[in-house]
Amino acid sequence: MTAMSVLALTSTQRSLWWGAVIGGFVVVLAVAALLTILVLLVRTIDRRVVMIRDTLQQAASNTADTALIAETATRVEAVLAEGLEHHLFLGRVLGKVRS
Amino acid sequence: MTTLIVLSVIDIVLLIAGLAFYLFVVGSQLTRVATNLEECNEIVATVVTNASVIERGVEQINHTGGVIAGALPLLYGMAEGIVVGATYQPGEVVERGPARPASGRRRSRLHDGVGYAPGAGAARRPEPEPQIPA
Repeated sequence: MTAMSVLALTSTQRSLWWGAVIGGFVVVLAVAALLTILVLLVRTIDRRVVMIRDTLQQAASNTADTALIAETATRVEAVLAEGLEHHLFLGRVLGKVRS
Repeated sequence: MTTLIVLSVIDIVLLIAGLAFYLFVVGSQLTRVATNLEECNEIVATVVTNASVIERGVEQINHTGGVIAGALPLLYGMAEGIVVGATYQPGEVVERGPARPASGRRRSRLHDGVGYAPGAGAARRPEPEPQIPA
């Protein structure tokens, strides 16, 4: 049995092989299309993540001075203490002025 | 026959090469996305750290501000009392009429000069001036 006789195909087998080859090309094209869509979606995700990162950097810069809130609270406490001093002073002076 | 074999090989090579190319592209994109997300994670942690101070500080400011706002009416009430007590209160102004000239009968000095005083009954001679001897 020679090699040619081994590889000799019937017309049905040849048709099936052609069908497999054409189907393979179709599958390759479909895979390429789907992977292109995947690449585009991942690129969109990448851009959105960059936007989120920039927004978060702005938020971080906006909240960078929140440590001053505690200092402000301390100063407001000082204002309250000074107001109490004013209250005591006015209480002393008011009696003298009325008398 | 040979054509079928060649096409089959091309088909398989295209499939493998396409998969490899797209996986490389998607892999590089996902690596970049992962790097950006790690940065986002760090930034979010920073924001959370910064924001943790806000609630406590604002609560303290609100509490103190409420106390101050409640005490201010008392303070300005006392200040008004001081202002009322220390402000000069002028007395009642007497309504005066318009200024009139001192009209009426005026005494003439000419009569005095000649020693005449009407109403006195008799004319009085003026006192002689003392003579200074030469």
